[in-house]
Amino acid sequence: MPDNFNAKEKITVEETDLLQEIMNIAFGRAASDLAELVDIFVVLNVPQIKLLKAFDLPAYINKEIMNYDKDRVSVVEQNFWGKFKGNAFLVFPPGTGKNIFYLFDGGDKSYESDHTHDMEKETFQEIGNILIGACVGKIAELLGDVTTYSPPRVVLETSLRGIVYDNLSDPDNMAIVLRTVFEFKEKNVNGYMFIFTRQESFAWLKTALHKFLEQYE
Amino acid sequence: MLIFKCFYKRVIAERIEYLLKRVFMIKKILIVDDSPISIKIIKSCIPKDKDYELFDAADGQIGVEKYRELKPDLTFLDLTMPVMNGFQALEEILKFDQRAMVIILTADVQIKAIAKAHDLGAFSVLKKPPAKESVAAAIKEAEDALTERG
Repeated sequence: MPDNFNAKEKITVEETDLLQEIMNIAFGRAASDLAELVDIFVVLNVPQIKLLKAFDLPAYINKEIMNYDKDRVSVVEQNFWGKFKGNAFLVFPPGTGKNIFYLFDGGDKSYESDHTHDMEKETFQEIGNILIGACVGKIAELLGDVTTYSPPRVVLETSLRGIVYDNLSDPDNMAIVLRTVFEFKEKNVNGYMFIFTRQESFAWLKTALHKFLEQYE
Repeated sequence: MLIFKCFYKRVIAERIEYLLKRVFMIKKILIVDDSPISIKIIKSCIPKDKDYELFDAADGQIGVEKYRELKPDLTFLDLTMPVMNGFQALEEILKFDQRAMVIILTADVQIKAIAKAHDLGAFSVLKKPPAKESVAAAIKEAEDALTERG
C-alpha cells in the first residue's frame, strides 16, 4: 500500500459487496438502454470489484483480457467527474468493429468502402456513450451524485497498454476497479467494461455506500 | 319486498362463501441471490409484522436444492448469478413444482429478460434496487393469487 493510503480508506468486504451489487444494477440499466436502441439481448455476468495500486492496473487488465489479442483490441474510453470520479473503458476483441457496425446498420452491407473505418468508430462511440454513460450515471445516481463526462475516445485495433497508462494520474495511488464482462447474444460480440475510481473518491464513496444502506435499516 | 329479500339472501350467501374461502397465508419465503448484501436488503424490505420464516441461497443451484428441501410458499429469485443463473433455476424449480410462486428480483431490466422470465413461468418481476413498498405489494399480490388458486 502507498504511504499516503489511509487504512480507513480501505474498503471492507461489505462495502465491496455493495459496490458489486450497485455495479450489477447500473450495468443492467445500461444494457437495457442499449437493447432498446438495437435489437440485442445482452448477457450479463456477475461484476468483480478490486482494490489495486494504479500502477498495477494495466497488468490487471491484460490478465483479464488474456483471451484477446492484446495488440489489436478496440477501446472506448471516457472520463467522468463528480464526487465519483474516474475513467471508464470498454474493451473489445479484434474484429468486433464490423459486427457492431452491422448491428446499428440493420445488416446493410452497402457501406463496405473506405468509410467503414469511420463508421465503425462512430458506432463504438455510440455504444460507449450509452453503456458507459448509463452505467456510471446510474452508479452516481444510486449514490447521490451527478457526473459529467468527457466525449468518448475510440481507438481501433491497437494495444491497450498505452491508453491505460495515459490515464494514470499518479501510479502510486490506489484505485478501485469495477469490472464486468458482457456478450451480445447471437451477435458474436463480447467485451469488458472497466471503471476505475481514484483514491481521492474513496472517502466520499465509503460514506455514500453507507448512506445507501441506511434506507434499508 | 320480494326483491329486497332476494337481494339480502344473495348478499348473505356471498358473505358466507367469502368467509368459507380459505385465505392463503404465505409463511416460508426463500431468497436466492449471490450477493449477501442484496439478501440483507431484500430481507429488510419484507414486512416484519407477518412473522415470515426467511431462508436464503447463494446461487441458483443451491436455490433449487433449498426449494426442494423447504417447499417455500414464495421465492424471490435473482437472474445474474454464478453456477446456475436465475433462468435455469426458475426452470428447475417449476419442473419440480408447477405451482411454485416465484418473483424475479433482478438488475437485468432488459425487456427480453423480463419477457423470458414471464414466459418461463415467473409470477412477477421486480427491479433492483427493491423498494419496501413494491416488495410488500408483490407479496400481497402473490398471496391473493395463491388464495385465488385455492
